[in-house]
Amino acid sequence: MSEIYSPSSENDVSNFIRESHEQDTPIEIIGQNTRPIGRLIQCSKTLQLKNLNGIIEYFPEELYIKVKAATSLGLVEAELDKRDQELAFEPADLGFLYNGKSNKGSVGGAVSCNLSGSRRFKSGALRDHILGFQGVNGKGEIVKSGGTVVKNVTGYDVSKLIAGSYGTLVALTEIVLKVQPKNEESQTLLINNINLKKALNIFSKAMQTSVEISGACFYPEKSLNFFKLNDLDISTSITALRIEGPKISVVERVNTLKKLFDEYKKTMSVLENYQSRIFWKNTTDLEFFNNTESVVIKIILPSVNTGQFINQFENEELRYVVDWAGNLTWIAIPQNDSVLLRQLRKAALALNGHMTIIKAPNHVRIREDFLTTVDDNIKVLSLKIKESFDPKKILNPGKMYSGI
Amino acid sequence: MTLVMPKVDQLILDDKEKIVRDLKKFTNPINIISDLEGITPYETDALSAYKQKPMAVVLPENTSEVSNILKYCNEKNIKVVPRGAGTGLSGGALPLADCVLLGLGKFNKILEIDFENRCVVTQPGVTNLALTKAVEHKDFYYAPDPSSQIACSIGGNIAENSGGVHSLKYGTTTNNVLGVEFVLMDGTIMRFGGKKIESEGYDLLGLITGSEGLLGVVTEVTVKILKKPQSIKALLLGFQKIEESGQCVSDIISGGIIPAGMEVMDKPLIKATDDYSKAGYPRDVDAILIVELDGTESEVNVLIKKVEEIAKKNKATYLRISKNDDERLRFWSGRKVAFPAVGSISPDYLCMDGTIPRKKLPEVLKEITRLSNKYGLRVANCFHAGDGNLHPLIMFDSNIRSELKKAEQFGADILKYCVKSGGVLTGEHGVGIEKRDLMCEMFNDEDLQQQLNIKEAFDKNSLLNPGKVYPLLHRCAEGGKMHVHKDNNKFKDIPRF
Repeated sequence: MSEIYSPSSENDVSNFIRESHEQDTPIEIIGQNTRPIGRLIQCSKTLQLKNLNGIIEYFPEELYIKVKAATSLGLVEAELDKRDQELAFEPADLGFLYNGKSNKGSVGGAVSCNLSGSRRFKSGALRDHILGFQGVNGKGEIVKSGGTVVKNVTGYDVSKLIAGSYGTLVALTEIVLKVQPKNEESQTLLINNINLKKALNIFSKAMQTSVEISGACFYPEKSLNFFKLNDLDISTSITALRIEGPKISVVERVNTLKKLFDEYKKTMSVLENYQSRIFWKNTTDLEFFNNTESVVIKIILPSVNTGQFINQFENEELRYVVDWAGNLTWIAIPQNDSVLLRQLRKAALALNGHMTIIKAPNHVRIREDFLTTVDDNIKVLSLKIKESFDPKKILNPGKMYSGI
Repeated sequence: MTLVMPKVDQLILDDKEKIVRDLKKFTNPINIISDLEGITPYETDALSAYKQKPMAVVLPENTSEVSNILKYCNEKNIKVVPRGAGTGLSGGALPLADCVLLGLGKFNKILEIDFENRCVVTQPGVTNLALTKAVEHKDFYYAPDPSSQIACSIGGNIAENSGGVHSLKYGTTTNNVLGVEFVLMDGTIMRFGGKKIESEGYDLLGLITGSEGLLGVVTEVTVKILKKPQSIKALLLGFQKIEESGQCVSDIISGGIIPAGMEVMDKPLIKATDDYSKAGYPRDVDAILIVELDGTESEVNVLIKKVEEIAKKNKATYLRISKNDDERLRFWSGRKVAFPAVGSISPDYLCMDGTIPRKKLPEVLKEITRLSNKYGLRVANCFHAGDGNLHPLIMFDSNIRSELKKAEQFGADILKYCVKSGGVLTGEHGVGIEKRDLMCEMFNDEDLQQQLNIKEAFDKNSLLNPGKVYPLLHRCAEGGKMHVHKDNNKFKDIPRF
């Protein structure tokens, strides 16, 4: 059983890590412990940052919020909502995936995993919205980078490196995030009963216009057997395009899309503001994999390769959903089908993509690689970067790759 | 030159002839320049107050040549300074006397335009504007638009993480680049990112963007391209008090509007730019604010109305809405020539580049006026109000002894005040040599050491662009901002002297 330490200040975090550094003791870092992502690691000590929470400052007119690392993401979003602002990268609520209940976890956890929602292809990833951070490196030193302003090239952009580093470089203590005004209106154009190939063509065609869609996903017919979408009774595939902005513009752009995809007008419908927001919340939060027993993986491919990728597995009963205008595919597969898991990884690699395991039982997390990186040069450089922060490799050792 | 640079390695200089001979093995011999006349054009970048001729200039033609040259220099302990188009304003491409200057000018081809994936694959020597020119026939464009876009290269943009006037809405280079081919100092060729939307593992692409040529050399770039908005309109607003323009900016953003561009110019700059460009700016105001909005036709019309109301509430005494694209471009014509316009009223000028919280604009401008009086030097200000990036242009005459030094001190005081106001030293021009010795204003010992450790992970012997961005040990110690511990290893990768 790992010894859990829950410091209440940044200095305490620093002292704890410094001591662990001196004693060569590996530490597992957790925030609110809501996202069991990454390789399974075992450490004799656990550093729980949950007491480092609270909003430090929020200036709506300066478009940023500065928080302590373990501040609940839900709390941050509620505060922003009061001023009609939001986090444009649409952080996912993975609570549904892991145990069937809403739980957004902490800001630090979200940053560490760099997970972004359905607006990713238009508004960027979480890493595009982190302006600065402060944290403690593997020697116990308090280090910072960035600031509170959006335009800043003073020194290396270390914030980007920290986003998606799964706590292997620093224990985060403070985070500054860029915020954006909320979109006044959201509407979604739905087209039913078309196949993936046609859906991908629709995404591509829509992206070639100046309509600026901010969501584009595809639910195959099969996936709807296990997922009830809003309160709609739909039993065929769904292709969805989201349009956001001032209401007048949204209406105009939806009409442009309707004309553009006139050939599908018989199976076309529009989700108005309220329903549209629920639809995309469900999609971003992976509610279609609500409390699933399956292994859930994320495949990133150049969007033009996604069709070919899925086709290779048409004989399998793949439960999948395509998001990010074809760039992202979520797949759920049976826990013990490691052959299929490896085939999917291999196929993604062959098509210039990669696969990440987002949810898996411990025995799979021990057995399978979490990430796909095969380039030895990248691994060597990643190891050197790890050591530049954490020379004794005591922070979440092995969480991303074995040995890093 | 008063700036202290890394110690010149006499052994390397003594070996120059052999080094030049060796370099000729790695590329066509005509790509190696070592005669005085040939290397002189490379002695400076756009921070022309500083000049230093390199030992030799190499202009490789492909990635494998870059790799072989870097590998050779790494093995022989020869410093390398990479250079794009030489338009950098912070001296990032300033050569060292004992360095090989690696020019990427021959990497000048666009390799692939992929409309389906909405990206362009290009060599790094292609200019920023050429990317947009290559895709505009299909109504696409590349979003970051630094004012030097006609000349600056995309590789240089990655080194500096260049911005432009539209970065509040469309981001800077880092938000628009998808992948690079990148050569480390030891010759290793790597690829970060590509056509796919994101990569896994450490965000190496994010880290190297804006690293000012200290971590590696970019040899290929993939950027995303965007579809042009349907409609673009601009408002030209005039205010009797600069505070009112600042408040107007804050109110626009608080009102939930993210304009494509938002620029403030102060009175001295209004006069200089209007004389120079005949943009038709109002002369009887203290500040003008240009607000550009884009989107669908009706969306833009709604937003224009909202901004108009906000402007009136903030006592705008001049208000004009562009009726067509020509008029919109005329609004911008003065702003776009701000630098040459100042050049026309002063023999020399220094362009500063701090970023501040938007609401601090009036306070910071007041301080700049105070400093202007203190130093007896004129100053004109333009401000990317959307993202808080302030460019004071300090006017001086380098023929008058000590004026350059005075102007530099004035600039340093402005940047220190930006940091004190919650801002940063540089928004888009980079640290280079210009702001290197001010880094201790923003970062402490541990912060800087961490960044130097990252540098060491990429370039163990600190041979790639040394002396840039991070202060040399004794400078910070002298400044009293960074105390030197007993740790003798501190800044071990920087030569001591």
